[in-house]
Amino acid sequence: MSNRQPIPGYIKRYSLRVFLCMAAYMIILLSGISYAKSADLPQYIRVILALATALPICGVFWAVFRLLVDIDDEYQRLLFAKQILLGTAWALAITTVWEFLAVYDVLESGPKWTGVIWFITFGLAGGYVRLRA
Amino acid sequence: MKNRLKILRAERDWSQQDLADAIGVSRQSVNAIETGKYDPSLPLAFRIADLFAMKIEEIFLRG
Repeated sequence: MSNRQPIPGYIKRYSLRVFLCMAAYMIILLSGISYAKSADLPQYIRVILALATALPICGVFWAVFRLLVDIDDEYQRLLFAKQILLGTAWALAITTVWEFLAVYDVLESGPKWTGVIWFITFGLAGGYVRLRA
Repeated sequence: MKNRLKILRAERDWSQQDLADAIGVSRQSVNAIETGKYDPSLPLAFRIADLFAMKIEEIFLRG
């Protein structure tokens, strides 16, 4: 038998989904911003551009949660579920503290880029969970 | 939960990867089960028992 374990199919599908979403995001973001700056656009066009840019990011969220369903190795699924929960908990803690810093006028505005914060905490949680596994 | 997986595997001169391939999980999963960090589900425990041609309670022990 082989000592080298091939990359599982669920990881390949997840990687492809994330790659496609991020590629779409970069294309839509760059073209959308340049289009928005080039003309005085009506509000509904700006709303459409905002939704179109947000959609691929939502696609990455979907890919992450779809992976949870796709994983056919129960131990790996447990680790991944722990990663999602821990990453979400950290992101909620950060945005909650940030929000109250804004409430008490320490910061000018409340939490922004919550999705980006979640992606970062999700990644960090992955390392933490697997270190403790 | 304690188990005799490491002993049974060693008796057959199988690596963790060999066992993982045979029961359709990752090597990390086999390691986690052997070291008692993770208790397998009933379906996986049955797959392991079938592979060794033993009863589940002969592999996985109380306590």
